[in-house]
Amino acid sequence: MGTKKIRPKPILEQEYCKGCERCVIACPKDALHLSSEINPMSGITPVEIEYEICNGCGLCIAACPEPYGLRAGQMESEFQLEDPEKLFGKKQSTAPKAVAIPDEYLDLPESEPLVIKGTYAGAIGALLAGCRHFFGYPITPSTEGTELMAKVLPRLDGAFVQAVSEVAAVNMMYGCGGAGLPCMTFTSSPGVSLMLEGISYMISAQVPGVFVNIMRGGPGLGNIGPEQADLKLVCRGLGHGNTHAIALAPSTPQEMLDLTMKAFHLAFKYRNPVIILGDGYLGQMTGPVKLPRQMVKPGLPEWAVWGDEQHRNNLIASIKLSEIDLEQHNIMLNKKYDLMCQNEQLSATFLCDDAEVLIIACNTPSQMAKGAVQALRKQGVKAGLFRPVTVWPFPIDDFIPRVKRAKKIVVVEASNGQLEDEMRLALSHAGVQNLPVIESIRRFGGVLPQMHEIIERVNTAEEVLS
Amino acid sequence: MNGVFYEKFERHAHGEGLKGRTTHYCAGCGHGLAHRYLAQAIEELEIQDRTIAISPVGCSVFLYYYFDVGNSQAAHGRAPAVALGHKMANPKSIVVSYQGDGDLASIGLAEIMQVAQMGVPITVIFVNNAIYGMTGGQMAPTTLHGTRTTTTPDGRDQTTGEPLKMAEIMAGLDGPIYVERVALFDNKQRNRAKKAIKKGLQMQVEGRGFSFIEVVAECPTHLKMNTADTEKWVKENMIPIFHLGVLKDVEKEPWFDRKYPTFSPDRLIESIGGLPEKAPRFCDSFPSHIAEKDIALKFAGAGGDGAQTAALLVTRAAINEGFDSTHIPSYGPESRGGTSYADIHIAEREVLSPASPAPNILVAFNAPSLAKFSSQVQDGGTIIYDSSVISSVPKLKSTVKLVGVPMTLIARELGNAVVKNIVALGALQAATDILPEKTFISAIRIALADKGDLFPLNEQAFKKGKAAAALPR
Repeated sequence: MGTKKIRPKPILEQEYCKGCERCVIACPKDALHLSSEINPMSGITPVEIEYEICNGCGLCIAACPEPYGLRAGQMESEFQLEDPEKLFGKKQSTAPKAVAIPDEYLDLPESEPLVIKGTYAGAIGALLAGCRHFFGYPITPSTEGTELMAKVLPRLDGAFVQAVSEVAAVNMMYGCGGAGLPCMTFTSSPGVSLMLEGISYMISAQVPGVFVNIMRGGPGLGNIGPEQADLKLVCRGLGHGNTHAIALAPSTPQEMLDLTMKAFHLAFKYRNPVIILGDGYLGQMTGPVKLPRQMVKPGLPEWAVWGDEQHRNNLIASIKLSEIDLEQHNIMLNKKYDLMCQNEQLSATFLCDDAEVLIIACNTPSQMAKGAVQALRKQGVKAGLFRPVTVWPFPIDDFIPRVKRAKKIVVVEASNGQLEDEMRLALSHAGVQNLPVIESIRRFGGVLPQMHEIIERVNTAEEVLS
Repeated sequence: MNGVFYEKFERHAHGEGLKGRTTHYCAGCGHGLAHRYLAQAIEELEIQDRTIAISPVGCSVFLYYYFDVGNSQAAHGRAPAVALGHKMANPKSIVVSYQGDGDLASIGLAEIMQVAQMGVPITVIFVNNAIYGMTGGQMAPTTLHGTRTTTTPDGRDQTTGEPLKMAEIMAGLDGPIYVERVALFDNKQRNRAKKAIKKGLQMQVEGRGFSFIEVVAECPTHLKMNTADTEKWVKENMIPIFHLGVLKDVEKEPWFDRKYPTFSPDRLIESIGGLPEKAPRFCDSFPSHIAEKDIALKFAGAGGDGAQTAALLVTRAAINEGFDSTHIPSYGPESRGGTSYADIHIAEREVLSPASPAPNILVAFNAPSLAKFSSQVQDGGTIIYDSSVISSVPKLKSTVKLVGVPMTLIARELGNAVVKNIVALGALQAATDILPEKTFISAIRIALADKGDLFPLNEQAFKKGKAAAALPR
């Protein structure tokens, strides 16, 4: 006691004052009032402080909503307006620049193949790729993948969250992926519809994440049989705006594992979501699955919003208020899409080199098509299978020379021509003219095209031709 | 100035002119105050480096212009989900979900409810000004009855809903530990708001739980009043509906201490049930006496018959022999007691078409299954059925071999009806010689490795099934 507490008086740079008068109302001494003159820099009538009356109680400071509004300062000399340009440092933050921590690869022992279903293979592929965070909502026929993650992740100190909906799940992925960690979901067609908004945000904000869509029969509630009718959604309509993502279409449980692992790599390589398109059949199908020789221990990218000093300056956002900024952002995204198209096309072929009848199919129908090719070859028909493994980007580079040799193309799919549309669009963009005859076998509603249908179609068409 | 704000608001129109030091908020808006109290709390708790602020959609969408912390901007209403994603990724981060009334109390209701109920330490700052600001003065879920908005031009009434009291809802949940509603309309309320925001963060820093601070704020622009009148309006009109004070404050010991994940290969392998051991082989060649390169089987019965388990054992047995094999189930919509079918393929090299629309072998556990599939069996094929439950057999082609085995009866005699599917496998082996007996027994042993006491019963079931199928009829 006895020493007098010095209370700092408020200081104000009038340029930053919006004249809201919160401080004027708050001041018990009536020491503040609106100026009689408009500030020439802000165009606003700011507040003035009468320092003779002010007792430095600070209530005005607590009432000021502006970060650089009223603040406590020592009035050693008469207040001087400071030049805003001098006040603004070049640097906006003192946070250091973050350095990326690279992934590590850890050896796995050699082993016999696991005998597991496609959904399990996808989940194990994700674990091997370093994914320890899962956010999802149960939906048939993808639930087994979700359930395996629920069982395994806690044992690896990972996080499994059953979200309130697919909408919540994709946004949890936005958070976790934005923090720089590999994360994923298992879902099925109606679930993807709900996730589209979030996927669009992820693409724009450049957040990686892997979506395994075990496609089922649609539209609407449809059924839980296998379909491929989400190709259009995934290749042409991933939410609002200018969006694209690499879409991988496995055809066996083994590929469910291999391609899910690859999906994580691609998601981080491009900072973009990656979609695994499986069909309901493949999700449920059990078969032999060999493990790779190495697994991934993920690092942390430099752009992560991780929650430490190094990453403090980072931002995950998709809003670009100025039209010029948003156009530039789209140009950047387009360049990225171009790189994906150039570098990531993937296809598999079966007896394609001399094929005159080129069968196009992916997912489980490609297995039926493979059987048909074998049978047709026995009949002396030069048939071959071209299987897009990436349905976006369509593997056009490998496709063109084969189309040029073919007399006929037969597109086999469990959808209404969505695969054929992707093929035709790719051919059109590539400027391929004089296409051979294009035939199609399309089944829907959970019915897959069968081997005998493909053989019959090829044979009937052959007769017509000859 | 407070070090938690950027020195220059570079993200605000590239920091040009005065925008480098001022917010985008209208004069008298409550957001600026909530921002200052949040920044002050972050500074006082020394958590700037750990903090991640989630910007919502609404007027405070540009929260990230101002806070020198890790920033993530969420879709409309989804900030709590994004916050949870961050908290799960880095449990040591301090995550603040800052949301307005349209964001949190309308489009984002599901997300806030779930994350609140999870109780994970996250701090939600909910700014309730009873109006939509950014979209231009439309009705909010918290808009008072009588208020004219652009979507309630005659004033809000019963038909557009009652004002939603989020703090009361949050306090009624078991997840949150601290819920307080504060206001900004006078010095006393501002002081309380400042303390509440700090306490909400403190609860998270100490790992105690989820906190929710509702800030009743002023929107002079859309209420079309000056600041003084808006403060008065909030006090006189909003506060009687949105009561101020602490609605929930539970003593809870710190509990949130999530570990970072492990990437140990051993732990991973253990967690997926270990790697398969190398199984012995007993086959000399592919069973081409059934089909040349690819054998199709169908097991059909009702849920609970064990068709899927038996089918998987066949698949495993075939893979153990170095063949390719697939299994695919199909069920009726019922969880229990519906149909349960399994298509299996065994191929010398590669299964091409995994479905079995025309099987070489059918195993039928009940009469409807036999009736449904018996005509699809290929010439030269085999049908094995449970003769203890199927009394009449449909007329069949002479080219199909029919083997009836009283599977249920044999299993019951062994003391457990559940093993009738293993009886069926024994019958399958005897009737078709698809794979050697030892292959089946080995596959069953491996499958029951961690249920060792069950193996003798299953082995016996297999042998009885085999013997029954081998009987002359």
